[in-house]
Amino acid sequence: MGRDILRNIQKDFLVEFRSRFALNVSASFAAIVTIAISLTAGGVPFPVPVQSILLWIVIFFSAMNGLSHIFVREEDQATALFLRISVSVDSIFISKFIFNQVFMVIILAVVTPLFLFFLQVQVQHVAYFIFSIMAGGFSIAAATTILAAMVAKAGGKGSLFTIISFPILLPVLWISISSTSAALSTPPPTGGNLLFLLAFSGFISVISFLLFRFVWLDD
Amino acid sequence: MNKTEKMNTAPYTITGEGLARKFGRNTLFKDICLSLSTGESLSITGPNGSGKSTLLKILAGLQNPTAGNIGLASNGPIARMEWHAHIGYTGPLVNPYDDLTGWENISFAARRADAATRAVLLLDRFNLDRHRDKKVKHYSSGMKQRLRLILAVLNDPPILMLDEAGTNLDTGGTALLHSYLESVQEEKIIILATNDTQEEKLCREVIRLG
Amino acid sequence: MKVIPTALKSVYLLVPVAIIMAFLWAPPAQVLGDASRILYFHVPLAWVSILAFIVAGIFSIAYLVDKKHTFTGLDEKAYNSAALGLAFTILTVIAGSIWAKISWGVFWNWDPRETSIVIILLIYIAYFSIQGAMASSENRGMVGSAYLILAMVTLPFFAFLVPRIYPSLHPDPIINADRKIFLDDQMRSTLAVAIVSFTMLYCYILHIMNRMMKLKKHIEEIYHDAD
Repeated sequence: MGRDILRNIQKDFLVEFRSRFALNVSASFAAIVTIAISLTAGGVPFPVPVQSILLWIVIFFSAMNGLSHIFVREEDQATALFLRISVSVDSIFISKFIFNQVFMVIILAVVTPLFLFFLQVQVQHVAYFIFSIMAGGFSIAAATTILAAMVAKAGGKGSLFTIISFPILLPVLWISISSTSAALSTPPPTGGNLLFLLAFSGFISVISFLLFRFVWLDD
Repeated sequence: MNKTEKMNTAPYTITGEGLARKFGRNTLFKDICLSLSTGESLSITGPNGSGKSTLLKILAGLQNPTAGNIGLASNGPIARMEWHAHIGYTGPLVNPYDDLTGWENISFAARRADAATRAVLLLDRFNLDRHRDKKVKHYSSGMKQRLRLILAVLNDPPILMLDEAGTNLDTGGTALLHSYLESVQEEKIIILATNDTQEEKLCREVIRLG
Repeated sequence: MKVIPTALKSVYLLVPVAIIMAFLWAPPAQVLGDASRILYFHVPLAWVSILAFIVAGIFSIAYLVDKKHTFTGLDEKAYNSAALGLAFTILTVIAGSIWAKISWGVFWNWDPRETSIVIILLIYIAYFSIQGAMASSENRGMVGSAYLILAMVTLPFFAFLVPRIYPSLHPDPIINADRKIFLDDQMRSTLAVAIVSFTMLYCYILHIMNRMMKLKKHIEEIYHDAD
């Protein structure tokens, strides 16, 4: 099983980074939106809550552009059957889950610095800020992996992925926004919110793992 | 390693009882019973749309029958989720990754430690060694078919299920395929879904659908 | 075969009784007066919505576990129950916002409980989008059921956790002067009857929907055999 996962991750990285399609789209989207916000603001800094809301909106939509691609590509290029007979179904889920986490980290690494740079954000608690961003990103990628598989099975149609991900991610976004605000303001933040995020994403990952075979295998 | 040795020695049995598949409200086939052990071979023939590929997929555990039971055993039954490790399946819908080279596709499918050495021999045997570092999207359809066959037999599976194995192959390719199938007939279960009379003759038993 | 089980026919009696009790028998609450009678509709509607979503989830689990499809149409029963759940949720929101208008002066103010119910609405609207997108797919049942299970297990996070983490204006302060929900025996029994009758109403409609689905299939089969 470990070997299966490794082979599949290696293959996914090879395929994805050879075309860099999803990554390019997500990163350019993030850059364009951030610059557009900064441009329209005309150099006036936003209040803290607005900053964190904008940051998470940009992260959410950048992620929505790329996170489903890892499954949709298998269906689009009709390689799903080859994947199915080469790797066990549990390994498929785990390797795609890991891939999406890495993908999310890359998006965060693009979006966050751009955002800090263009929108004059003052981070008060650096460690807490980084931890909030990472925990929020982890939860987004964890909760959407199985949704991406469902969307792929539904033909990967347009904005379906965003439609089905948004309500499930709302609490994640909500808590990420409030903990990011806390990291940007002066009073010292507490960790309760982040624990909720980790509990939620852990729980949803386990359920997704159990449900994945029903979604991915043909009836 | 111990496990692989066992895989090669213990005989395998595939059993199907009362298999049926409906597609929407159309019944493709029903009441198909079969039992095959290592050393036996079966061809599934029938006109287009009679359900050859579907039956083969059901036997490979890639699709569920609408009714009936299907089992795979070797020293005790094997869990459905593990079948893919024992069955070498290929068909027109098994597409290798276009953006990867032939060799990268092979490395992805390689499950056994000795797969790399086997792959070199197979590439040589199927005359694909010159193209191993080309991306699959630049392959001709015949080359792609050869790659499919290599991928199916790569891990030396004890069961081979080939759907339209001879499609797009030239005379040389067909001859290679037939000689390969003859050479492994004693040690494997072979199931072919085909309309080619020559391939049909390679197998000892026949199911005619439709 | 009985078309409708006798137990379900009791809705014809229960629902009118509940309505009469709610409007005529139960006394008005101290602060809200007669407007408080909406309680006997809002609470049962909310309960039935959650019940319908849980039933949809249970049908879905049964569908995934029942690999041989011994029971037919479990996925469609789950679909029907989710559809009813969605309808009842919308009614809950309508009843709730009327109540909010009377007691807080606005129809909508993003109170955490209102927020949760909007999230739930969005989740199940998403379910119908994905089912719509897969109209002709063989995996429709499997994917839909997996989504319903995922939705069901995340419900507690939304329906219970969120309102408790964030302070709420919701029920407590608004019914009586001592800022606690206080229901006297008459109010309590009215509420109980209303909950039972709405639950029966849900079962009754679900039964009819499932039957319609079965008949539709049956007709299609007859039509097909005639070809």
